Amino acid sequence: MKLAVPRVGSIGYMAQDVCARLGLGYVQTPEYTERTVMRGVAISPELFCFPMKVLLGSSIDALEAGADTLVTVAGFGACRFNYFGELQRRILEREGYEFEIVVFDSPRDAPADFLRNLKAVLKASDGGIISVVRSMKLSLRKGRAFDEVNRRAIALRGIETEEGATDEAVADSLEMLSGAWSAREIDEAREAIGDRFGAVPVDPGRPHLRVGVTGELMMAIEPYFNLDIERWLAKRGAVLERSLYMSDIFTPMGRNPVSGMDDAEIERMALPYLCHEVGGHGQINVAAALEYARRGFDAVVHFFPFTCLPEVIARTLFVRAAEDMDIPILSLSIDEQTGRAGLQTRLEALVDLAWARKNAA
Amino acid sequence: MIVGVPRALLYHQYGGSWTAFLDSLGVETLLTQATSGETVLAGTERADNETCLPMKVFAGHLIQLKDSCDAVLVPRVVSQYHRTKSCPKYLGLPDVARALEPDLPPVLDPRMDLADRRARWTSDWNALALEWGASRGGAALAVHRMKEALREIEPLPSRPVEGGLRVGIAGHLYNMFDSRASLGLLDKVRDTGAGVLTIEQVSRHQVRRQLRTLQRKIYWDFEGRIVGGVLHWNRTACVDGIIYVSSFACGPGSMIGALLEDQLGREDSVPFMNITLDEHSAEGGLITRVEAFMDMLKRVGVERPRTRGGGGVAR
Repeated sequence: MKLAVPRVGSIGYMAQDVCARLGLGYVQTPEYTERTVMRGVAISPELFCFPMKVLLGSSIDALEAGADTLVTVAGFGACRFNYFGELQRRILEREGYEFEIVVFDSPRDAPADFLRNLKAVLKASDGGIISVVRSMKLSLRKGRAFDEVNRRAIALRGIETEEGATDEAVADSLEMLSGAWSAREIDEAREAIGDRFGAVPVDPGRPHLRVGVTGELMMAIEPYFNLDIERWLAKRGAVLERSLYMSDIFTPMGRNPVSGMDDAEIERMALPYLCHEVGGHGQINVAAALEYARRGFDAVVHFFPFTCLPEVIARTLFVRAAEDMDIPILSLSIDEQTGRAGLQTRLEALVDLAWARKNAA
Repeated sequence: MIVGVPRALLYHQYGGSWTAFLDSLGVETLLTQATSGETVLAGTERADNETCLPMKVFAGHLIQLKDSCDAVLVPRVVSQYHRTKSCPKYLGLPDVARALEPDLPPVLDPRMDLADRRARWTSDWNALALEWGASRGGAALAVHRMKEALREIEPLPSRPVEGGLRVGIAGHLYNMFDSRASLGLLDKVRDTGAGVLTIEQVSRHQVRRQLRTLQRKIYWDFEGRIVGGVLHWNRTACVDGIIYVSSFACGPGSMIGALLEDQLGREDSVPFMNITLDEHSAEGGLITRVEAFMDMLKRVGVERPRTRGGGGVAR
């Protein structure tokens, strides 16, 4: 069995780690390219949302790279993604590919399905159920450490005094983390990473923008789709916070340790604009954007795929919230037609506006 | 006290129960007029440009209520059936309503969570009735009347199907019942002399039986009914053609549209047409497509008489 997972944030990192622990074959899904997108679009129904089209193209890349089992997640959510796994199977079958697919449901909502899928993984692995669960927990711990590196990096890159110092710290940190195996080693690596980032030369006194990045997972996290927003904004003197980290989503009980907002807090922060969860990550993004506004951020960027259900609701609410709370919130809708120059122009306008407001204040 | 109710979205499904509740309390109800061209235009200007047609229609109805009532009733329909979830648009509807129009009177958002067998959601409605000054008995009666009305949701008035071609039309009630949004599709098909079947005429039991043949359960209630109904029509050979009506940018609709196309393609299926509606849909284009579809059905009927049995079903 050689499995591949969608390429979004730290999923790949965690999957590779868990496969190494369980002795499963793992194939890294190749990087997104224009060809990935075009092939995905070609075989997708017109009204699929953009991440689904991309994932279809990306699955083909993974299968061609030697994977034979596609692992993906669904969940008892209201967002249309919960039916994607099944359609992915049907469409790729129709296109003549041969593969197995395992669609993991959230263990909290569909425990029976989760266990059934776990069994499929178990059959191919060395260990029993206890070792599988233990390995998953360890990989998740490592994934959190990985995401924390990212969180620290985006908070520093905009104010570093030596260009590239943050990127060096990131590279060193991942090096430290890669050898960590047991829970203790991972925790030690995390501490060492904290010290390493403490040594990055920064100038907190330099004028800088504080910008929040929110949005649908793939669009907000993957640099291919958002103009590499983290570096792009850092170059223009912005320190960032992001609402979503992949390891948070896999952490049970809604604790979200990396972003630091648990589900109860999110529910409270989203008030009074949103009083109910709306599937996907709509509520988290609304909560985060409002919280950034309350904490006095200079701007919020919101990326989402064209016609995304939860994020379109979020955008509707942002229009009102931006006015009430006096903060620029730029919602950018992305699909296969999106041009980089158009995206860049609008982001430049946002940065100019944020600087002008900051200098006027 | 006048309570405004937009005649849009789930009003077409649960409106009877909402008005039963309001009537029982003796609250004056202001229901917006049927959708017109202006409603769609006004809603399109107001709503987010990436939402679906029914949301734009909803926005159009909502802003009509701005100055003419003391409160607007926009129930938050969390789920519609056991073990299902609503579309995100319904989950956030009251919040969107507040954001769309800041000068709106207070938006009342009691929950409806029909998946909950213990019906704990009715406490929201009870509290609402008490807030309006109803006695405890009066409030309980109003909630009871509402639940009674929920039990009997009226099917579309269907004409008896005689001879001719029979066409199954599958789509959301807010499009089918709204002759502006669906551009009078039902009547246009009937005018060609065909008999029309709609999704509400397929029983829950039949829907469940068909859905069990799919590998993955569909978590949206109405979309599940559409899929189950369409498969039932096709597999029992009770229609000559199927028209599936969805709205542009409808999330669940886009998924089950793809699912139906794939599944029907794997079976020996009657002709299937997908019509996507948005605010730009024009009547002329619709007529052309319906006519072409009906002509095709006639020819298929000549060339391939109906001999399909149950048969094995690939999935």
